[in-house]
Amino acid sequence: MTVPLGAYVVVSAALFFIGCAGVLVRRNAVVILMCVELMLNAANLALVAFSRKYGSIDERGSVFVIFVFVIAAAEVAVGLGIILSAYRNRPVVDVDEIHQMKG
Amino acid sequence: MPVGPFGIDPVIWAPLRLVIAVGLALFLVLNGALLQIYLERKIQAIIQDRLGPYHVGPFGLLQTFADALKLISKEDVRAQATDGWFFVAAPALVFCPMLASWVVLPFAQDIVGANLNIGLLYLTTLGSMTVLGIVIAGWASNQLISYEIPQILALVSVVLVVGSLSMIDITRSQAGPFVNVLILPFSFVIYFIAALAETNRTPFDLPEAESELVAGWLTEYSGMRWGTMLALSEYGNVTVVCAIVTTLWFGGWQGPGVEAIPLLGVLWFTLKVYAFILVMMWIRATLPRLRIDQLMSFCWKGLIPMALVNIAVVAVLALAFPTTKIPVAIASWVLLVIFVTGIPIVQRQRLRTLRARARAATAPAVRAAS
Amino acid sequence: MTFDFVEPVVFALLSIGVIAGGVAVVMLSRITAAALLMAFTFLCMAGMFVLLGAETIAAFQVLIYVGAITVLILYGVMFTKFGDRPRALFFQRQTPLAAVFVAAVAIPVAIVALSFTSAPPRPGGGDLIALATSVFTDFAFPFEIASVLLLAAMVGAIVLTKRDDPEEAALRRRP
Repeated sequence: MTVPLGAYVVVSAALFFIGCAGVLVRRNAVVILMCVELMLNAANLALVAFSRKYGSIDERGSVFVIFVFVIAAAEVAVGLGIILSAYRNRPVVDVDEIHQMKG
Repeated sequence: MPVGPFGIDPVIWAPLRLVIAVGLALFLVLNGALLQIYLERKIQAIIQDRLGPYHVGPFGLLQTFADALKLISKEDVRAQATDGWFFVAAPALVFCPMLASWVVLPFAQDIVGANLNIGLLYLTTLGSMTVLGIVIAGWASNQLISYEIPQILALVSVVLVVGSLSMIDITRSQAGPFVNVLILPFSFVIYFIAALAETNRTPFDLPEAESELVAGWLTEYSGMRWGTMLALSEYGNVTVVCAIVTTLWFGGWQGPGVEAIPLLGVLWFTLKVYAFILVMMWIRATLPRLRIDQLMSFCWKGLIPMALVNIAVVAVLALAFPTTKIPVAIASWVLLVIFVTGIPIVQRQRLRTLRARARAATAPAVRAAS
Repeated sequence: MTFDFVEPVVFALLSIGVIAGGVAVVMLSRITAAALLMAFTFLCMAGMFVLLGAETIAAFQVLIYVGAITVLILYGVMFTKFGDRPRALFFQRQTPLAAVFVAAVAIPVAIVALSFTSAPPRPGGGDLIALATSVFTDFAFPFEIASVLLLAAMVGAIVLTKRDDPEEAALRRRP
């Protein structure tokens, strides 16, 4: 009795929406970044599940996942760079308060 | 009805085998750490012309038992910080990936916990998980992260020549005495140096230097927490790294008489691993420590460029001459010679520029004083 | 006795871990705990990849997410430790709107998702060779672009966080 594809997609969707809710609700910039990572993970799960369950010969879904890994890593690095340099100007991480572009 | 080894139902044998492997690994880690702590102190002592532990037991063999008993019986001092559970979780997070990496070490022909076809990738992955534990413990981890890069690059160059990530395949690809170190000595040197830095052994052990760190995070861990993190994890890591070195470059379990008696492979494997451990201890007793900025500059300006050159050369030659391994071998030895002779030349040049710069900086002051 | 029940049980445990970790990241007010539970979510996700038979992807998941991204986020948390808000999370302006939005989109997605049927199960055996062949032959161009992207991100992160040397700033100010 193997796990159906739908189960993986439901888990992926649930995690995606949890991450989405987190991005909308939380105010700490680092936590928002963490929730974005959750959403990316959910997308990865869906991609791999479809790729493995539908039996593509060249694993295209998983290849896409590798690129998502790369982009997620790059995004976290740059995102944290932005947060840290904004923090250096004014020591707040509350995104409700970093809404002015003027330094 | 298929019958597994020892007549056990294969369906039960699969998880049972894994349980046995993990139990055996734990046993080996604990005893190995015991043995290695004693060896380290004795060998350092002999090289430094003193005696080392000799009081407890014959030749001081029971010294580590005494130390372990003392550690276990110490009071469990806990930090009153808000993130107290980091403090509790950190030793486990440092220890568990190391224990998990014993599962893929090939001790003999069929004696391996799990013959993963991504064995080497699995080991690399667990190494990066250790970094997480160390960051949580409050240790500076930039050294660990930096030296992962030349490590992985050196491993990949071996995989390029062998064509498989599985530890068993890599061992079997080395027929007889033509072990991989004859083909890829440069990768071996790069990996060995990077592994010395990864496991925080001298000359790269500034973060844990006993003579220099009195305060700081280290004093907050007492008793068995400290024992787990520092002794068990470090010596376990050293053993895993030496096991990787023997598997990839020195033929793993192969040696005279292994075809006849498969279990002899365990003996050869252990002997080779401990030979490398002794070399690491020898290096520790002999070389002075590098400063943290020297460490980092050696990695980023020295090891990584050479590892990249190595990988490029090996990849091109392995693709251009897929049947023979001789061009790769020649290129690798040439690179090694360049590396070894290039370092003194580069260092002399840097010393010259540093001296010139220092002279130029103090010259106005001297002129003003006179 | 057959061990057929192992796969759904493991899947259930892993999915509980994933969802619980996700909820914890969103709801916990202690950022350090949230960061570690995010790492736990990533580990359970890697377990699900192994369950699907994609071991290489699972290894990369742990290597990149747990090994690197979690460390980066922990550094970010440590450097911007502004004090966790003691106020509970639910009394914020956006929460009702967020809940409505999420429910409105999530429920149809869940219903649609459950209707997927999959092909008969493929023989397992890992995906390393197929993956590697794909990446380096069919997808070589995106691979190169990804490496340029990583280079740009690296340079960008360094430029963003580099502190101005007082001498360099003086040099730049000099006409």
